[in-house]
Amino acid sequence: MSDDAKITIEVDGQQLEATPGQMLIEITDAAGITVPRFCYHKKLTVAANCRMCLVEVEKAPKPLPACATPVTDGMKVHTRSPLAREAQKGTMEFLLINHPLDCPICDQGGECELQDVAVGYGSDVSRYHERKRVVRDEDIGPLIATEMTRCIHCTRCVRFGGEIAGLRELGATGRGEHMRIGVYVEHAVSSELSGNIIDLCPVGALTSRPFQYRARAWELSQRDSVALHDGVGANVHVHVRRNQILRVVPRENEAVNETWIADRERFSYQALQSEERIVQPLLRENGALREAAWEEALAGAAEALQAAGSGLGTLVSPNATLEEMFLSQRLSRGLGSSHIDHRLRQSDFRGDAEDAPMPWTGSRFAELSSNQATLLVGSWLRKDQPLLNHRLRQSVLAGGAVMAINPVDYDFNYPLVESVVTRPSEMVSALAGVAAALGADAAGVTVEPDATQRAMAQRLKSAGQGGILLGVAAHLHPDFSLLRRIAANIAEATGCNLGLLPPGANVAGAHLVGVLPHRYPGGRPVEQAGLDAMTILAGNCKTLLLFDVDPEFDVANPALMKQALAGADKVVAISSFDSPWLREHADIVLPLAAFGETSGTLVNLQGDWQSFCGVVEPKGEARPGWKILRVLGNLTGVSGFDFLSTEEVINEIRLEAAGMTPDNRLGTPVSTLKPELSESDELQRVGSVAIYDVDAMTRRSPALQATPDAWTPGARVHSSLAERLGLVAGDEVRLSQAGCSASLPLQLDDRVPDKCVWLPMGSPGSENLAAGFGPISLEKC
Amino acid sequence: MDTLVAFWNDLPVVVRILIGIVAIMAPLMVLVAYYTYAERRIIGAMQVRIGPNRVGFFGLRMAGLGQPIADAVKLMFKEIVLPTGANKLLFLIAPLISIGPALAAWAVFPFSPGLVLADINAGLLYILALTSMGVYGVIIAGWASNSKYAFLGALRSAAQIVSYEIAMGFALVGVLVAAGSLNLGQIVESQSGSALHWFWLPLLPLFMIYWISGVAETNRAPFDVAEGESEIVAGFHVEYSGMAFAVFFLAEYANMILISALTALMFFGGWLSPFQGVPVLDEATAWVPGFFWLLLKTFFFMFAFLWFRATFPRYRYDQIMRLGWKVFIPITIVWIVVVAGMKVGHVPWWFD
Amino acid sequence: MSLGGSIERVDMMKSMINYFRSLFLFELLRGLGLTGRYLFATKVTLNYPEEKAPVSPRFRGLHALRRYPNGEERCIACKLCEAVCPALAITIEAEPRDDGSRRTTRYDIDLFKCIFCGFCEESCPVDSIVETRVYEYHFENRGEQIMTKQKLLEIGDKYETQLAADRAAQAAVR
Repeated sequence: MSDDAKITIEVDGQQLEATPGQMLIEITDAAGITVPRFCYHKKLTVAANCRMCLVEVEKAPKPLPACATPVTDGMKVHTRSPLAREAQKGTMEFLLINHPLDCPICDQGGECELQDVAVGYGSDVSRYHERKRVVRDEDIGPLIATEMTRCIHCTRCVRFGGEIAGLRELGATGRGEHMRIGVYVEHAVSSELSGNIIDLCPVGALTSRPFQYRARAWELSQRDSVALHDGVGANVHVHVRRNQILRVVPRENEAVNETWIADRERFSYQALQSEERIVQPLLRENGALREAAWEEALAGAAEALQAAGSGLGTLVSPNATLEEMFLSQRLSRGLGSSHIDHRLRQSDFRGDAEDAPMPWTGSRFAELSSNQATLLVGSWLRKDQPLLNHRLRQSVLAGGAVMAINPVDYDFNYPLVESVVTRPSEMVSALAGVAAALGADAAGVTVEPDATQRAMAQRLKSAGQGGILLGVAAHLHPDFSLLRRIAANIAEATGCNLGLLPPGANVAGAHLVGVLPHRYPGGRPVEQAGLDAMTILAGNCKTLLLFDVDPEFDVANPALMKQALAGADKVVAISSFDSPWLREHADIVLPLAAFGETSGTLVNLQGDWQSFCGVVEPKGEARPGWKILRVLGNLTGVSGFDFLSTEEVINEIRLEAAGMTPDNRLGTPVSTLKPELSESDELQRVGSVAIYDVDAMTRRSPALQATPDAWTPGARVHSSLAERLGLVAGDEVRLSQAGCSASLPLQLDDRVPDKCVWLPMGSPGSENLAAGFGPISLEKC
Repeated sequence: MDTLVAFWNDLPVVVRILIGIVAIMAPLMVLVAYYTYAERRIIGAMQVRIGPNRVGFFGLRMAGLGQPIADAVKLMFKEIVLPTGANKLLFLIAPLISIGPALAAWAVFPFSPGLVLADINAGLLYILALTSMGVYGVIIAGWASNSKYAFLGALRSAAQIVSYEIAMGFALVGVLVAAGSLNLGQIVESQSGSALHWFWLPLLPLFMIYWISGVAETNRAPFDVAEGESEIVAGFHVEYSGMAFAVFFLAEYANMILISALTALMFFGGWLSPFQGVPVLDEATAWVPGFFWLLLKTFFFMFAFLWFRATFPRYRYDQIMRLGWKVFIPITIVWIVVVAGMKVGHVPWWFD
Repeated sequence: MSLGGSIERVDMMKSMINYFRSLFLFELLRGLGLTGRYLFATKVTLNYPEEKAPVSPRFRGLHALRRYPNGEERCIACKLCEAVCPALAITIEAEPRDDGSRRTTRYDIDLFKCIFCGFCEESCPVDSIVETRVYEYHFENRGEQIMTKQKLLEIGDKYETQLAADRAAQAAVR
């Protein structure tokens, strides 16, 4: 904007600069002049229906709403003139007519915009003596408690649904006093961002259900943290009372999460008080785990690790902090083993040699909003990285096109311009078709492009700014190396950004500090590469060190994990949560501090290093991971473990990883790869990860597990397949995979391609099966 | 009766002395005990309160007469806490040094003509010597406690007692000049006559100074800076508890009684009747034993101690010093000269 | 000059009078006279267990939690008393009861911390937490000074008649 486009207005005698077209309230907000408001929100469209922001504008016949009045040159505004005050007071009185006086039992009490504004702008006595209206409540799910009588019809929640969540779930019906906000048909709100309407609601009509009645705003201390369920690294405020996390709300960071967070980040804190938290070190004695003192457990663990030497296999959760990752790889390599990996759910490691130095989205998050064409490959972006999906949705609203090649017809909150839904085995050829249409190298896969693929190629090529995003399903695909190679070729041919969106909160950090068998910190290659996650589990390591891993649910192939645990001489687990397999197989369990209990750093998918402090004491005897690893390092005599704080660790990492920036460029292609999945008539399993099964915390959050998005135990197939097999919904079916089997109820879902079974990793029942993607057989039991 | 007297005379001297000591000590201790009770009741009354009125005997209240016994029993059963780093020996000896002189002074005290344990000629000197000893108990207690407050209290007490000892001594010199004897019995005898013949009148300034110095000597209000609870908690005995504390307590009250009795003796004619030589009254009160008059006079001064405590706020330390050195000592010196002049000039009717 | 001289003389007279006053202990004797008079004054002390001072309806004694006549506890866990308490003596934890209403799961008053200011009673929107006329109570074991919700409700039940009457009497001026 050039300077000559600036105009000057006068507010309360103060000269302010503005840009034509801006609304008055934006100028006053920026200048710190308070104008009361309810319906206005800077991230939502202007509704101007609460009338609270009325201000006096000279030469205007009556007060004007500041949120809907565009500025004009020389405008003179009075926000506190008698006329403005009278208008605001009148509005306040009307708003309070039907607002119940139930502040003492209202959860918003103490942080309520209506309370604050009523104190500042209302009158002290009500002149209203008639009966107040009462509105029937609706049950809109396990996350949000409603008390619609308190609603003041600001319609922020309605606008949020349409503009941000992309689901018009809430709506206003009726007019005047009969206006009601509600769901059209009573059902639970199913948006993965639904929790944000709790923050948006200026009154107590929509409040957090898990937090309901538990604390008052004034009791809570607000501490800063970073959420760890996906690679976005949403900034959050953690609200703490008496050393307990009681709720999580978003912290504004325009570059990362704007003012939103996903429900996963908001409600997963419930798991911290779970019964399954490990609060005491455990040692195996006479076949059973018993509680032990830290000294004893640490000594035992150090002895086991030292004895293992190069036979040590280390699996680190991709959600671990940068410090924990760095220390774990230093420990493992110090003991002589490079068998360390964080890619627990990945099954294709053939392309390790050409791995990108530090995977990322390929562009800043904010830039996704201006993509003109985006191709999603194996990605249910909406559920895998909800906040990135929100960015991409903005690009669609701005006229961009989003296309997808997916193993399930995932639903998005925007239309897909082109969509290919294939069985996992055909994803490679589908993507190769796009490459072929562009004349790019399809990594040895020969395929004749069809119309859809040509259209996709055309859109990508003609886009000024485009992206090709490899999602979670692509990363877990048995032919991930091929998909990535082809996608990189397409990106090169079209000038689009290649984006890699693996599961986990700190994957970029893991690459940074070398929690990989073939990379040292800073991305330096290891001469004699260690074993990857799958190979470690295939019985090659006799001592296993699991860092924050739920063995049943956090790995690509639970069957392999089960064998590895049974076959290992020693299993040392550093873990926040108990699990049956740890009970059965772990020799030493060290309690790990969970979210909010440890300081650390997460590196998100656009390469931001986000450090945070612990906000509460670890539960019971649990201790921060970096401290556990430090002591293990000291006890095993590995050098370089004399850190007193995470800051010191981070400084060391900065030295070791100096110059590392997000970089998706692949190395020299490894020799021609053959597709791993063969196209046969066998049923294939589609096993990406469900939104609330991604990690130990979301799996243990009762509120999240009660939402419609939570995966109900069962296997989903297309109705035509069920018909052919003579099965109906609800039938108990036996699923068999590589010698293991599980019986689960059958669910019909026409989003699943024919001859496929949709059963995500990490979902209940999946622990009895094998690889997430691959042949599977299904029969009625 | 005769046999009793004969029996008494047959007893060995030591036994006779021991019996005499017991005969003085036992009533004195009871008096001390009930003096504390009287103090609480009287000060209570002056503050429009009741004071202790609950503890009695045999389930009867008896206006709280059991209180001193209950207090004594309580103190006996309390632990004597030895402060860390205290000098154990001195810490325990200090209360004894304090109470010893207070009791020993009674040896030369004549209760009626001839009724005295040790009728020595230097009685007044003996009294002066012993009352000055008490301060050692205070100083040693303060030092041995290894406590700042106790030490400060001891220092204050020492300076104060030394200062007032001089004024007190001079006042007694006046008495000595007037009576012409150091023997307490003779001092009383030389005051013979009615209440107007007693020494309080010719020695009025000396009497006032002796009395006030006496209050100061016993560390009583308004001169109780040695324990000044608002400044140094309890002064020299802050670290004492149980019986060790009780002994200090006992010494203080025994001293008060002693000072009262001595005042009665030296300025108010001891056992002499106030009506001696007054025509009708003398005969009417002839049946009253001299001991009774002594007791009456002593009780008045004992009451005055309590009265002062209920009335006057504590002196500031520098005011005490000023009073002692710059007021009392000059006045006593002047008045000794005046008394000497009166004595030489045989001023009637005391010295004719 | 003469005026100055007379002032000087008056000052001298004053200081002379003061000197003799203090020399003859005049003020001390007056003081003794005062205490002497009070020695015989009527005593105001109450013989406590037998005689008791009258208690105001606003008396701030032991706390209680009241109930509505239908037996429902009044407290709605609004936590205003906890917020207003200057001694931080009140600890409240709340969650939805089975019927969905807002109720405390824990309501503790630490009587060792409490300063009996009555702010809790004043802040209560439903007249739930009140201070009774009871001032005779004691504790024998550590921990008994914590008045739990259970104990407070029992006290409320026991004195409800009195509490209701006191509140009714004060209703006009509250």
